Amino acid sequence: MHKSNVNRGEGINQVDRIKKKINSVEFDAHWYRRVFHTFGTSFLVYYLLPDLEWINLFKFWAPILLVAFALFLECLRVTEKINGEHFFGLRIYEKKRFGSYLYFGVGVLILLLFFPQQIAVPCILCACIADPIMGELRRNLGKMQIYIIGFLICMFLFLITWHKADLWMVFLVSIVGAGGAVLGEVKKLWWLDDDFMIQIVPAVLLLIIWVIISYFGFVIPEPVIYSW
Amino acid sequence: MKNKEMYYLKVKRGDKNIVRTEILLTPLLIGLPIIIGILFICDWFYRGFLTYSSVFDGELVLGFIILVSNIMFDIPFIRSLLRSFRGN
Repeated sequence: MHKSNVNRGEGINQVDRIKKKINSVEFDAHWYRRVFHTFGTSFLVYYLLPDLEWINLFKFWAPILLVAFALFLECLRVTEKINGEHFFGLRIYEKKRFGSYLYFGVGVLILLLFFPQQIAVPCILCACIADPIMGELRRNLGKMQIYIIGFLICMFLFLITWHKADLWMVFLVSIVGAGGAVLGEVKKLWWLDDDFMIQIVPAVLLLIIWVIISYFGFVIPEPVIYSW
Repeated sequence: MKNKEMYYLKVKRGDKNIVRTEILLTPLLIGLPIIIGILFICDWFYRGFLTYSSVFDGELVLGFIILVSNIMFDIPFIRSLLRSFRGN
């Protein structure tokens, strides 16, 4: 009896020690945010999922529920109903407004549900890859240089996804899309995050081009990802 | 937006029982994109390379983009995390 009490006591001490150790680990918020961005590339698996009825239902509802859950959490945080300490890596300007990750999620949700894959894929990649790279370059380079490099990265991402199209269409889409993405990144507003704008601005511009191209009877290229 | 507002909010770790969301999320943030990247490359291999079809080449490139971009940011993140662990 006595021995088991001692063992339990030691166990509790060990748990306390581990808890203390975990609580003392300070994450680097800067790199954490960057990794959160690139994590978004995982959402492209959406297009690999097979075209079955129950999977289509999942593909429709899962992103909506995920974003709704994030919105619910953010509402609770902003109204201080839950402790803000649960939300790591937020910036000072996000204290009284929704976090960037929610804007990012809403952008991805809109693209996945309402835009064709050819438009959604490069726009999501711009937010996931070009945005953190431009953020890193901001430490060492001037604004103009960052925008040029950002433009070239975005252009590359559009080139990859539209490589099956006619050459003139590839260049048109790449230039307009990359320009829109950089434009969405340049303008920083308190109430509308650049993580949303970098996705939606090029997507809307490309949708206009898409409609015009279809109207004149040109062939839209096939998507780059094929479902199983 | 002012530069000062771009700084990160400081978090006090007074409550020992608080859930460390960043620690819980870290394996997912690092692991999932790498799995997805490999999945794209495998898909290209089985449906494209083995059947001599170039239709799936885009998936290969996307797989590499996902892998490279994630590893590029994972390395400094893991390094900063290890530094924190060693520091304590």
